[in-house]
Amino acid sequence: MTDTYDAIVVGAGHNGLTAATVLARRGKRVCVVEKSGQAGGMARTVDYAEGARGPEIAHLLYNLSPKVAKDIALRVETRKLPTIAMSPDGKHVEMAGDTLRFADGTAHPEAEAYAALRKRLVKFARLLGQLSDAPPPSLAEGLAGLRDIGGLARLGLNVKRLGKQDMREFLRIILSNAYDLLLDDLADGPVAGALAADAVRGCWSGPRGPGSVFTLLYRLGQGGDVLLPMRGMGAFETAAKDAGVEMRTRSTVASVMVEQDQVRGVTLDDGTILQAAAVLSSLAAPLTMQLAGARHFDIEATRRLQRMRAKGTTAKLNLVLSATPDMPGLSDAQKAARLIVAPSATHVESAFNPVKYGEASAAPVLEAVLPSLSDPSLCKDGRQVISVIAQFVPHAPDGGWTAAQRDDLSKRIIQTLEVHMPGLQDLITHSTLLTPDDIETLTGAPGGHWHHGELSIDQLLTVRPVNGLSRYSFGVRGYYLCGASAHPGGDVTGSPGRNAALQLLAEGVLS
Amino acid sequence: MTHEAVPIGLIPGPFHPRLEALSRAKGWMDWAGYMSPSVLDTAEFEYFAIRNQATLFDISPMHKYRITGPDALAMINRVVTRDVSRIGDGRVGYVMWCDEEGMLIDDGTLFRFSETDFRLCCQERMFLWLLDAAWGFDVTVTDESDAVAAVALQGPTAYSVLRDAGLDVGQMKPFDWHEVETDLWISRTGFTGDLGYEIWVPWDAALPLWDRLWAAGNHWGLRAIGFDALHIARIEAGFIAAGMDFQPVHAAMRLHRGRTPIELGFGRMVHFDKGHFNGRRALLKQRDGGQRYALVKIDLGGFKPAQDALIYHRKREVGHVTSGVWSPTTKRNIALAELKAPYGISRTDDLMAEIYVNQEGRWDRRLVSVTIQDKPFFINARARTTPPAAF
Repeated sequence: MTDTYDAIVVGAGHNGLTAATVLARRGKRVCVVEKSGQAGGMARTVDYAEGARGPEIAHLLYNLSPKVAKDIALRVETRKLPTIAMSPDGKHVEMAGDTLRFADGTAHPEAEAYAALRKRLVKFARLLGQLSDAPPPSLAEGLAGLRDIGGLARLGLNVKRLGKQDMREFLRIILSNAYDLLLDDLADGPVAGALAADAVRGCWSGPRGPGSVFTLLYRLGQGGDVLLPMRGMGAFETAAKDAGVEMRTRSTVASVMVEQDQVRGVTLDDGTILQAAAVLSSLAAPLTMQLAGARHFDIEATRRLQRMRAKGTTAKLNLVLSATPDMPGLSDAQKAARLIVAPSATHVESAFNPVKYGEASAAPVLEAVLPSLSDPSLCKDGRQVISVIAQFVPHAPDGGWTAAQRDDLSKRIIQTLEVHMPGLQDLITHSTLLTPDDIETLTGAPGGHWHHGELSIDQLLTVRPVNGLSRYSFGVRGYYLCGASAHPGGDVTGSPGRNAALQLLAEGVLS
Repeated sequence: MTHEAVPIGLIPGPFHPRLEALSRAKGWMDWAGYMSPSVLDTAEFEYFAIRNQATLFDISPMHKYRITGPDALAMINRVVTRDVSRIGDGRVGYVMWCDEEGMLIDDGTLFRFSETDFRLCCQERMFLWLLDAAWGFDVTVTDESDAVAAVALQGPTAYSVLRDAGLDVGQMKPFDWHEVETDLWISRTGFTGDLGYEIWVPWDAALPLWDRLWAAGNHWGLRAIGFDALHIARIEAGFIAAGMDFQPVHAAMRLHRGRTPIELGFGRMVHFDKGHFNGRRALLKQRDGGQRYALVKIDLGGFKPAQDALIYHRKREVGHVTSGVWSPTTKRNIALAELKAPYGISRTDDLMAEIYVNQEGRWDRRLVSVTIQDKPFFINARARTTPPAAF
């Protein structure tokens, strides 16, 4: 059986769907091939148990590119959530935009310092955020033209426009570590802890690691507001279907066909051939290379891709609760907030240490949300779901993941939460743990890594995923990388997908 | 576990006891860590033996890599620029391989046992590169550099020496490659452009092989030679040498020192139609966009060797000599030279070389004319005649 399309997208993660939608909305015939039975990749909403639904992996939007939303006519209803930095002494802190106060409404002594710091960071982050919506400048491959220099020149100009003091500050901190930056202005308590945790969430790094300021700024690239998508992130799939994208779920691409250094389509594992002049892969870069076969790439490229660093440190625990847990110190409205358990920046750094040696943190750093409090459609009968991102958890612990180790990890996460939610244990009716290893199995992300590859200075911009392949076009003519391992990186942004699709059109592959 | 001490300094090769006994000049050089003769007697005697008699030159320090496995052909075809599927079993091919920018990493000879078994011989260390290249292919790469000894037997009486040594190679054509006796392989290859063979045996079988050839060679004027004599012969034959006529790009530290096969005059060895190979996309760009340099064979006026001489087009400096010698056989002043495009390609007239000569402490400058040559300087039908004549 043979079908012909203009473009085939491998993987129906949100970036794959975005790329497909961008092309389809420009009149191209596009097919998305997805291995699992449900589109969405890391942004799926699933049945936790007995009809209680919730986000399987990613649970919040904070970095969605407005250009993506516009280009693919994304219709997603969101609720802005404040952040609660949970304090061991019960004096939790609410962070909403630039304001900081104790959860009970009283003034926080660091409110002013926090506001100034956050304003400064968001200002710097927006500068970098501008770079996300275009391919990185092609310095390594030779400047392709004035248009390419544009983005870089604009960044340079905007850095200059910050004024002397801010420009110096930007250049001083951009490659440094979040720990030092935060503790310059804040005491080492839950507020600094929450920001430090944000800086390294999804990364193989502690807040003292160089580059953690960059990853913090990356999160703040769209202003830093944290949004809960109502009914999950299915809007990407809806947008794709509305644009006329054909979806083939439960289909696995066995290989990408290449003839004379040009892609011809894909072969599915049942032998079906889908022909197309363009194939976009939202898989991680090394897998994208292997799908076509190493022989179609230069040796240097395969070497760099093999050595791309992608060690996931993030586990997911999804719980179904029989009732809303008690959270002393928080109002009912605050219970629906983004809850961060990271007592201090030092705590976050210490939590990172064991993972270097293949062990999980004894006291993990957590980001928890009860989406069903904001979105009652997720559960019935008073039940609630709680979605927890836990760090730091090794991808491949010594001896591999055993049932005992998994139980132990779940227990540690629940115990850590229970400090702030007494009686939680008794409310749990169902629990699903996803280790980084499980996430890799589910999604194919190497190492179960959030960003499909560490978001560090040696794997960014012109060298993301690797030197020589940074502009989406992936070696073979017509082959494009459209997932998180491409510029700008992971999070639910849609940017790699959109940028790849636009680059493909600009390079005339389909004309 | 006991560790063998790593010797400090150069180490003897497999033929060293014989070479040392023959060495009057005591001229040794470093070749891949081995003590290798630059000259054993005098370069002139040795050179004339290449062209008039027969010579033995130890090529064991060459790096030798065995590539075996179901994907061996595909893996090698992705490394080198020419289409290896066109080299038959029992044949040898001259191959070049490039980095991702199309710059030459090294050149060498590829010996094909079968579609799943090859040996690659080259000047530069290539093991790690080949391991990188093997990733994703079902092949095994083995470094055979110190397991296989080899000696080049070159010169018009080379065939007669082998015959008298009891080795029948009469039907071997140039670039043939046969196991003539158990564990004794002979290829009709060489670096002199003359009749010649290379003989390959296990490392510890080197001395018996030498003695066997030496005993048979006495009657045919067999001499052992060093690198200096070979250097003259290889320039006459128009062969390029790593580190002289091109800088192996992995060893070059400065930017833009690499050269492509097209720039070195080997465009015909780049087979764009065979599928992807390393550097193909960059080379395709160069094929269509034009080369930056041209390595050419040149004939110079006068008789002073032109090594390193600058080359001018009228008053503009356009290149330099990479290898230059007085050719005793053709009685010409010859060289390989690198010119900046378009010189050497579309502009070949009015070229002059500026040769500096040191006459016992007094420097003098000779401006001589330069003529570009298409063909190797030394061509002799005996190199290709099959079966070869006695001499």
